[in-house]
Amino acid sequence: MTGLVVTGGGALCARGIGFAPIAAAIARAGVAEGHPSSDSREPSTEPFPSGGGHPLADFDARRLLGRKGTAFLDRRSALALVASGQALQDSGLSIDETNANRVGVTLGTTWGSLKSMSDYTRESLLADRPYLVTPANFPNTVMNCAAGQTAIRYGLKGVNATIAGGALAFLQVLAYVANALRCGHADAMLAGAVEECTAHMAWAVHRMEPHGRIDAGEGAAVFVVERSEDARGSGRHIDLELKSVTTSFSPAAGRSGRLSGALADCIRRGLAKSDVRAEQVSFAVTSQSGEDDRDRIETEALSMVFGNAQPERLLIKKIMGECLAATGGLQLAGLLVLHRRDPSRDGRISLFTGWTADGGVGAAIVRGWSRVSSDSG
Amino acid sequence: MSALIAGSAIRTCFGDGAATFQGLLQSASGVGELRHADAAKVNVSHGYHIREVGDETLFRASRWLAECASEAMAQSGVDAQRQRVVAIVGTGLRELRAVERSALEPLAVSVERLHFAHAVHQACPHIREVVTISNACSAGGHAMALAQDLIELGEADAVLVAATDTMTESMLAMIGRFAEVPTDQVRPFDAKRTGVLLGEGAAAFILVPEGWPCRPLARLLSTGLSCDASHETVLDPEGIRRAIDDAFTRAGRTPAQVDLVIAHGTGTAINDPVEATLIRQVLACGRAGPLITAIKGAIGHTSGGAALAALDVAQRCLATGQVPAIVGLREPLQEGKGLRFVIGEPVKAPIRLAHIQAFGFGGVNAITLLEKAA
Repeated sequence: MTGLVVTGGGALCARGIGFAPIAAAIARAGVAEGHPSSDSREPSTEPFPSGGGHPLADFDARRLLGRKGTAFLDRRSALALVASGQALQDSGLSIDETNANRVGVTLGTTWGSLKSMSDYTRESLLADRPYLVTPANFPNTVMNCAAGQTAIRYGLKGVNATIAGGALAFLQVLAYVANALRCGHADAMLAGAVEECTAHMAWAVHRMEPHGRIDAGEGAAVFVVERSEDARGSGRHIDLELKSVTTSFSPAAGRSGRLSGALADCIRRGLAKSDVRAEQVSFAVTSQSGEDDRDRIETEALSMVFGNAQPERLLIKKIMGECLAATGGLQLAGLLVLHRRDPSRDGRISLFTGWTADGGVGAAIVRGWSRVSSDSG
Repeated sequence: MSALIAGSAIRTCFGDGAATFQGLLQSASGVGELRHADAAKVNVSHGYHIREVGDETLFRASRWLAECASEAMAQSGVDAQRQRVVAIVGTGLRELRAVERSALEPLAVSVERLHFAHAVHQACPHIREVVTISNACSAGGHAMALAQDLIELGEADAVLVAATDTMTESMLAMIGRFAEVPTDQVRPFDAKRTGVLLGEGAAAFILVPEGWPCRPLARLLSTGLSCDASHETVLDPEGIRRAIDDAFTRAGRTPAQVDLVIAHGTGTAINDPVEATLIRQVLACGRAGPLITAIKGAIGHTSGGAALAALDVAQRCLATGQVPAIVGLREPLQEGKGLRFVIGEPVKAPIRLAHIQAFGFGGVNAITLLEKAA
């Protein structure tokens, strides 16, 4: 039991900005149909791999965020800023001088902005006068840039960290945030994950997963996490209760293709920590795409844990594309969306899962509530 | 709640931890001509390289990390097969250098090796988890803070806290962009300082709970964390001050008790005056204040590894009562007049409480307080 709750969130993905497009996509449960769109500020000159990708079309950072402070912002940071702003607004947590020092940010990533890193590196290595690189672009190449920009924009002066954990990064972010809150480093944390869909990222996904049939997507999902008593004291609405976050690493299982067993163990430990029985889990949001051989890892793990009484399942990548680190955040966004408009699910318990090819597995157990009285979302 | 340091290993341009401390006590500088990059192109002529024969190999950051992890684990006596050990690795640029190399030469770089899980697992096969914190130049300090939390919450029996970074040409080009004439020596807090140079390095510590059966190297009291939330690259004294306050509150100590400060001290025009002023205001508090040293003049700026390299030096100062001089410092900057910088020769003094500062891009600050174990 973590004693922590989510009091609001924000999300963007190929489906659009905010929770409404995600809700609509879940309702249709269709496959994301997107076409590579160019960064509106800087048209992409690099072609996408044949399958394309699923970027958020016509994402215009300056229109959404204004001109101030956005001149050197890269796409990844802009996505994080928009989702973070939404999360603060959705939660009703306002930042002022009384609490700014006690609110922090932790974001998950795979490799930062591959486009910013490779553009800058290319400028360093190949330009005629390499030392004339643009220093103002350098921060974008550092993996923690988006978290720093989020802190600057919203005045969040507490703990600020970036976890580079790939497909497990968001679960690791939740664990990090839980530690930070439980050990008194902060009173509220923005917990999120972000990944941009540029030609660079789409190629990386394509080359890493040559047999995968899932194309790159993009997204950001950020949540306000705080201690349960603080949320209740402030009157903020509790969307989700984080009952447990469990992650572990079994490289031998990763190599031998036995990750499903490791993931099943991880889920069981999470259930035990949460004091929840398997039959109480009504919903599972997996990182599956519905069209990938590797989907079997989560299918088998769920089968080992739940037997014939399988929870309902939502395959998040089927809707969003391969969003790497952001997938985890979008899974939680999917759960929040499922609860938000449906009081019949109030108090029900869900599971979300993830894994990495090198042997990382993770699971979170979450309980959710609706917000029927509110028009937000 | 405090924790104990049961093992420590570092790699710098001088070698291991003992060799590094020896080099520092001799006021030696590990600087040399820049290797593995075209000095004229990046406008950087010098660096603090880990000495290796032959050409640059791939995955050096991972290799040093694995060496330090093995060494620290062996020293600690912690058995990862019987005890729950998790690893936290701090880094700025991870294995970006391998990506640069593979872009320029026909090299096969496997994606799995761009992450540190592989290297840590090779060194410590029974490790339960590997978490990478990418917090630029304060990554090691942030890793140490998380490690202490995991011990406090009982989430792990012992934590391997590590950090590593090598140089990339892109980062060198950024540094070269700020210097009209390339510098040949980092001169922290010097009136005529000429800018920062990169170092290569890695570090690993083993953190265990109080009462653990071991001969502790030092007691970790606290790490205070904060974010400036003002600028990606410019220090904000108010933000750093919050991290300092946090560290002392957590530790139950006061600034007046500090015997030694290991400053971040990058030798840049802008950062050093801010840090010196802050030390005067917060730690000296109108008196002579604690001894101040800094290690980047001797070993360069080792990026994500910088905070943990300073922690290793701090634990050796606590153990030996010797404080090395700031290599490269001749005449302190105006803002540092009257502060007790260690200049020229090492100083012998009883050191009980050490205060270590680390600041990173993104405005992330980590202040660690380390106390003599017994």
